[in-house]
Amino acid sequence: MSATSLLGGPIEVVHAGIDAVAEAPRAAGAPVTVVDFRPPAGGDTRRMALLSELLSGPAAREIDAANARALARLLASRPHLVAIGVARDVVPGMADDLFLHAGPPVTWERMCGPMRGAVIGGLLYEGRAKDADEAERLAASGVVRFDPCHHHDAVGPMAGLVTPSMPVFVIEDRGGERPGTRTFCTLNEGLGKVLRYGAFSEEVVARLVFMRDELGPVLAEALALRGPIDLKHLMAQALQMGDEGHNRNRAGTSLLFRELAPAVVRATADRERAARVLDFVNGNDHFFLNLSMPMGKCLLKAAEGEPLSSLVSVMARNGTDFGIQLASMPGRWFTGPALNVRGLYFPGRTEADANPDIGDSAITETAGFGGFAMAAAPAIVQFVGGSAEDALAATRAMRRITLGPNPGFAIPSLGFSGSPTGIDLRLALERNLLPQINTGIAHREPGVGQVGAGLVTPPWEAFHAALEAFAEHVRASRA
Amino acid sequence: MTTRILVRPGCYHDSARLMQVSRELSALPGIQEAVAMMGTETNRRLLAEAGFLGTDVDAATPIDMIVGLRGGPDTAVTAATAALDRLLSGSATSAGGPAAPERPGTVSEALEARPAANLVSVAVPGPYAAFVAHRALDAARSVFLFSDNVPLADEVALKRRAAALGLLVMGPDCGTAILAGVGLGFANRVERGPVGIVGASGTGIQELCSLLDRSGVGVSHAIGTGSRDLSAGVGGLMTEAGLGLLANDPATRALLLVAKHPDAGVAERLHGLLATLGKPVAVRYLGEGRRGEVDGVLYAGSLDEAAEAAASRVASTPAARGDLAFAAREAVAPVGAGGSRLVGLFGGGSLAAEARCVLEARGIATRVPEEKLAANAPLPPGNLVVDTGDDAYTVGRPHPMVDQTVRCELIRAAGSDPSVGVLLLDLVLGDGAHPDPAPEIVEAVAAARAARGSRPLSVVASVCGTRRDPQGTARQEETLRRAGVEVEPSAARAAATAADLVLSVRQEVAR
Repeated sequence: MSATSLLGGPIEVVHAGIDAVAEAPRAAGAPVTVVDFRPPAGGDTRRMALLSELLSGPAAREIDAANARALARLLASRPHLVAIGVARDVVPGMADDLFLHAGPPVTWERMCGPMRGAVIGGLLYEGRAKDADEAERLAASGVVRFDPCHHHDAVGPMAGLVTPSMPVFVIEDRGGERPGTRTFCTLNEGLGKVLRYGAFSEEVVARLVFMRDELGPVLAEALALRGPIDLKHLMAQALQMGDEGHNRNRAGTSLLFRELAPAVVRATADRERAARVLDFVNGNDHFFLNLSMPMGKCLLKAAEGEPLSSLVSVMARNGTDFGIQLASMPGRWFTGPALNVRGLYFPGRTEADANPDIGDSAITETAGFGGFAMAAAPAIVQFVGGSAEDALAATRAMRRITLGPNPGFAIPSLGFSGSPTGIDLRLALERNLLPQINTGIAHREPGVGQVGAGLVTPPWEAFHAALEAFAEHVRASRA
Repeated sequence: MTTRILVRPGCYHDSARLMQVSRELSALPGIQEAVAMMGTETNRRLLAEAGFLGTDVDAATPIDMIVGLRGGPDTAVTAATAALDRLLSGSATSAGGPAAPERPGTVSEALEARPAANLVSVAVPGPYAAFVAHRALDAARSVFLFSDNVPLADEVALKRRAAALGLLVMGPDCGTAILAGVGLGFANRVERGPVGIVGASGTGIQELCSLLDRSGVGVSHAIGTGSRDLSAGVGGLMTEAGLGLLANDPATRALLLVAKHPDAGVAERLHGLLATLGKPVAVRYLGEGRRGEVDGVLYAGSLDEAAEAAASRVASTPAARGDLAFAAREAVAPVGAGGSRLVGLFGGGSLAAEARCVLEARGIATRVPEEKLAANAPLPPGNLVVDTGDDAYTVGRPHPMVDQTVRCELIRAAGSDPSVGVLLLDLVLGDGAHPDPAPEIVEAVAAARAARGSRPLSVVASVCGTRRDPQGTARQEETLRRAGVEVEPSAARAAATAADLVLSVRQEVAR
C-alpha cells in the first residue's frame, strides 16, 4: 500500500498505544482499530531486535519458506502402528544398562520425586533391586545410565520411563518424504497408582510384569495378524468424537479397541488370556494416549531438518526442566524451569502436593492437537474455565502462534476447520503467547501417583534461549 | 508509616493508565505516595531511588506491573492494595455480560483483520516502538509514530526501510499529521485545501494550520516527520519523501516546510530538492533568522510569514501582505510600575523557539534556565523562556498540552514575582489537547495578580487553533480576553506584543 495511495484516502487506522492519540482520527470519522498492545518478547530490547530481524530481515522470507515446507511435511506424514516389540530389541540405542525418561536430560541428583519413584519402580521391575532402598542406592551409584526418550525417537508420558524389557509400540511413517521413520512409546498402564506418576508399589510392578508377559505379546500377535493401523485416521475420528488426544482419549481408545478386538481373539488360543488383554485395554480410557504421543512424534520428525525453520518440534518436561527443540536444530535442547500446573485436584489433594510439570506428552500440543484441539473436547472444558466457549477460545488462541491448520484434524465445533498446527517460535514471542498444554499432575513425592490434571505452559526461558540460538543459527547458515 | 511493594506479573498497562492508577491510589486516605510503573530497568531504578526496594522489584520484568505504596496506618495501605485490585479488575470485561469484541493482540493481526487499513498509528513506550513500526512495514503500511525515546539507529533503520518500500514513517516523536482530512495525534481540525505541509515540529505544523485557517486557507496534507528527521544522523529521509509526495499530489498547490534547527549539511542538500519541486515553497527553520528568497525558495523569518506566503500563492486575489516584520505596533496597555522582566511559559516547544527568535530580534535578550523551574524556588534572573513540555517537566506526567498542572503552578509563581512585568503564554488547541485550557490559565493568572496587590502584570497569550477545533477557539480567546489577557493569533505575534510591553516599561523607567 504505497504512500501515494495513502494521500488518496480514505484513511483507515490501526492504532497501538496511548488511546488519546487515536482521538483525532476518530473525530474525523476514520475507522480506528485499537490493538491490545503488550510488549513483545517480554519487553527485552535485545530479544526484540533479534526477533524483529527474524520477522523482517533478509532471512525472514527464507524462514517463512522453510516453515511452509516443514508444515507441509508434517501434514504429509502418515504414522501407522506397525508392531509391538521389546524396547531392548527395537528402540535405537537401547541397552541393558539404559533407562529412558521424559523431557530434557537430567541427572539422578536433579530428578524430581515422581521421576525418582519411577526409576525405583523400574529397577524393581527389571529385577535389579529387591527393595526401594537398594534401588535408590543403585540409581545414585550410576549403575544405570539415564537418557531422554527423545534421544531415541521415543516419547513417554509423565516420568516417561522406558526400561529394556518393556513392550513398546512401534510407529512407522507410511507417507511423507521420509517413509520408514520410526518412533516408539511404552503401553499405557492406566490411571491411579502407576509407574509413570512415580508409584512403585507391588501392584505397580505386578502390572508392568503383566504388560510385559501378556499384554505386549498378545497385542503384538494380534497386530501382526491384523496388519498396520493408520493412527492419523484414528486420531481424526477421535477428534470428532470428543477427544483432544491428550487429556481425553476415550474415543481413541474405543476406536482402537474395535480395530484390535477380533484380531486379539483370533491370535489367542486361551480365551481367558484374550479377555484379560481386552479388559485391560477397555478399562483404561488413556490407552490411546501412548499411541497419540508417538504419532505426534512421528509427524514432527517428518518436519525436522528444514535448516531455517523456526517450527517448534519438541516440547518435553522432566519434572525439573522444560525443554524445547526446533525443527532446524534437531537434538538441541533449550530449557527453563518446569512450571506448576493450574489444575483440578482429586479429593483431598491440593497444589501443595503437586510436582511441577512433567512428561513428553506435550508432543501432542507440539504436533497440533491436545490442548490445541481443546475445542474438540467439550467433556473436559472444566480444565479451561468450564464453558464450551472457553474451549473454542483456547483453540482459536493457538491459531495465533501456529503456522496453519491441519486439515486432517477437523474440529466440528469450529466449522470443521483444522486444528492449529506447527508452533512458530517467532509468533509465540511476537504475540507474547505461550502454547497451552493439557496435562496430568503427579504427586511431588516418589511412590504416590497422580493427584489431578490441568493446564500449563512452557517457561518463557526456553523460548528466549531458543530465540538466541536460532538467530545465531540463521546468521551462521546464511554466512 | 508502611511501605509496600506489589508486583503483578504479566499485567501490562500503558503510561496513561499507570498514571491514572497512581493518581487514584494517591488520593486514598492515608496514602502519601503511590507509584505504578512497568518493571523496566529505568523504572526499577526510579523506584529504588524513591525508596521502593526489594527482591520482588529486582526480579520484575518490563511486562510486570510494580506498585509502590507508602502511607499509614497499616490499614490504609491494605485498603489501597484492595483498591488496586478493584481498579485493575475494573478494566477487564465484566463477567456475565455479553463478551466485548476481542481486540487484536498485535498490529500484524489487526492488519489481517482490517485489510483496508492503510495507516498504523503507534504510541507505545519508546523501547517497543520500533518493533511495532517494523511490523507495520512488514505488512506494507505507512506509520504515524507518536512514541518518543526511540534510539536514533532504530529511527534510521525504519526510515531507510520505509523509503525503499515507498512508505512513510512519520516519527518517532511525531506529534501531529493530517492525511486526506484525517488528523493524527495532536491535530487541529482544518478544512481541506491547497497547501501541503511537511514538518519536523509538531506545534510548528499546528501553528501553520492555525494561521492558514485564520486566513481561510485549507490544508491538503500535513506530513510529520519526527523531530530528528533533519539531523545529520537521519539526513532528512522522510522530509524528502514527504516533499516528493506533495510535489506529485494534485491537490497540493503550495508547500510549507517547518523544522527546528536543521543540520547545515542536510538543509543544504534539501535546498536543491526544494528549489526543483515545481511548486511554490516557503520554509521556516525555527530559531533561525529570515533569509528571504533563495532560488525561488522562501526562507521565512516566522511561521506567520511562511503561512502568509503560502496563502497568498494559492489565493485567487493575493491578500495584502501583513505586518510580518513586526515593526512596533500601536501602543499596548501600559504596564505601569510593574517589573520589566519577561517570563515565557510555553506548552509548545517550537512555539517557545519561535517566540525567543522574535524577542531576540527586538533586542530583548532571553535565556532558557539551565535548572528546571520550581514553583517554590526563586526565579533565576533575566528574561526567561521555558518549554514546559521539556522532558524535565514531564517525567511521570502527561504533556502540558494535556495536563496544565505544572505550567499553572509556574504561572502563579512567576506572576507573583514583582520583578516580572510580562508573562508570555501559548494555548494549543485541537484533538488530543486539553478539552478546555483557558479557564485554568485564567485562574492561575488571577491568583498571580492577586498576590501582587496593586502592581500590574501584563499577560500575552497566543492561541493556536482552528474554527472547527473542539475547544472552540473563539470561546477560548474570549475567556482569556475577559480576564485581561492580550490574545494574539500566533506565538510570533504574541512575542512581538510582549516585546513592545517590555520596551515600553523600559522607556517609562528611563523617563
